[in-house]
Amino acid sequence: MRIFLLLLAFVVSGCTPDTTLRGDPLDVMFLQMMIPHHEQGVAMVALAEDRASSADLRMLAAAIESTQATEIGTMKSWLTSWGEPLTAPPDSHAGHGDMRRTNPSEISRLQGLRGFEFDQRLLNVLIAHQDDAVQMARWQSGSGAHQEVKSLAERIERSRVAQIELMKRFLDQV
Amino acid sequence: MKTRNRLALASLTASTALAVAFLVPTTASAHGTLSDPASRVYTCKQEGPENPKSEACKAAVAAGGTQAFYDWNEVSLLDAGGRHREIIPDGKLCSAGRDKYRGLDLQRADWPAKRISAGSLTVTYHASAPHSNSNFEFYLTRQGWSPTQPLRWSDLVHLQTFNNQNPTTFTNWTLNIPQRTGRHIIYSIWQRVVGSAEAFYTCSDVDFGGGVTPPPTTTSNPTPTTTTTPPPVGGTWAAGTTYQTGNRVTYNGLGYECVQAHTAIAGWEPPNTPALWKRV
Repeated sequence: MRIFLLLLAFVVSGCTPDTTLRGDPLDVMFLQMMIPHHEQGVAMVALAEDRASSADLRMLAAAIESTQATEIGTMKSWLTSWGEPLTAPPDSHAGHGDMRRTNPSEISRLQGLRGFEFDQRLLNVLIAHQDDAVQMARWQSGSGAHQEVKSLAERIERSRVAQIELMKRFLDQV
Repeated sequence: MKTRNRLALASLTASTALAVAFLVPTTASAHGTLSDPASRVYTCKQEGPENPKSEACKAAVAAGGTQAFYDWNEVSLLDAGGRHREIIPDGKLCSAGRDKYRGLDLQRADWPAKRISAGSLTVTYHASAPHSNSNFEFYLTRQGWSPTQPLRWSDLVHLQTFNNQNPTTFTNWTLNIPQRTGRHIIYSIWQRVVGSAEAFYTCSDVDFGGGVTPPPTTTSNPTPTTTTTPPPVGGTWAAGTTYQTGNRVTYNGLGYECVQAHTAIAGWEPPNTPALWKRV
């Protein structure tokens, strides 16, 4: 059966299986969901520089901003190299609005806050946001195909879990 | 091999979107919670995340923020696959062990509760994105349990399970409720069966009456432990250390220089984070 399917794939595409097999559908869906999720996170943490009162929070937010920006670049480059769109088609599951994401009006709420109130709100929102990322990453590393995508998902899981622990400590100090 | 089969199949399909829809376990197409008796997350969502009315919802928002209540239909674990008792620790059953939903685990005797009594009780599940073929399990806390104690797996008494259900937006089941006194929790697990390992968890407070009103909950704030890590002098990269730009470390025998100040955490090892470290 497997040989039959691979043969068919070969015939349909006209190249060798290894170059035909582009993005695994699950990897592609994960990346198409993760990129906007990351971008939303970047938009939120970017607000900390001018608004947060805690220096620790400003430092963490800046580090999250730059590490997630790098991850976005990596994820986009994979999709591009597979010839896949960077965003999910609107009729797909990922495009359904099923995707875990922070309430879009949160950005404008955060923009209106300063100091202690900003710190508390950002920490709570970001804990929830990164907790969603942990869920998506766990799901991917259990079911994904490409090892490099799985490795990224595992790093996302570990770093977000650690960020949440750090942020819960910051919250206790706010 | 399994992967190759999937990929080969996918390449045969005219539309990738179609292939994704049929071949790939979807992440989150089912969503929901118990709306009657209302789960804690549903209660606070109905009160309004920004201006909750009850003391319990106010405390839950203070403890964990508002986002949990905007996402009232996602108290779920994507990779549960029936391993609920294994992956959700005691005391965190209402949040499914998720930090996002930690406000739901507050041990309080004043969560808004529906007055019920022994006998048959119709419960309603509100699924904003229903999904076919799912199992629904219902539990009630044991006699003697108190809402000021942590909710543990061993506190739950199984009531009924409805297998291979095809829920609609509002689905009703009738439970046979045993005798209890005072406040209790009806706990439910919605385990998806086909196409996803995702499971949803709900805690609904109910009151049988006749209970003793416990003294008001006093929440003690643990004194935060401030751990200050001494600045690194070279040495090996270590999570928990705060590095300044220009600090140098070794990791797996290779040298790195910090390019952006940060506190090191697991997952941010130097080779993985070019935004924070460069090779020297």
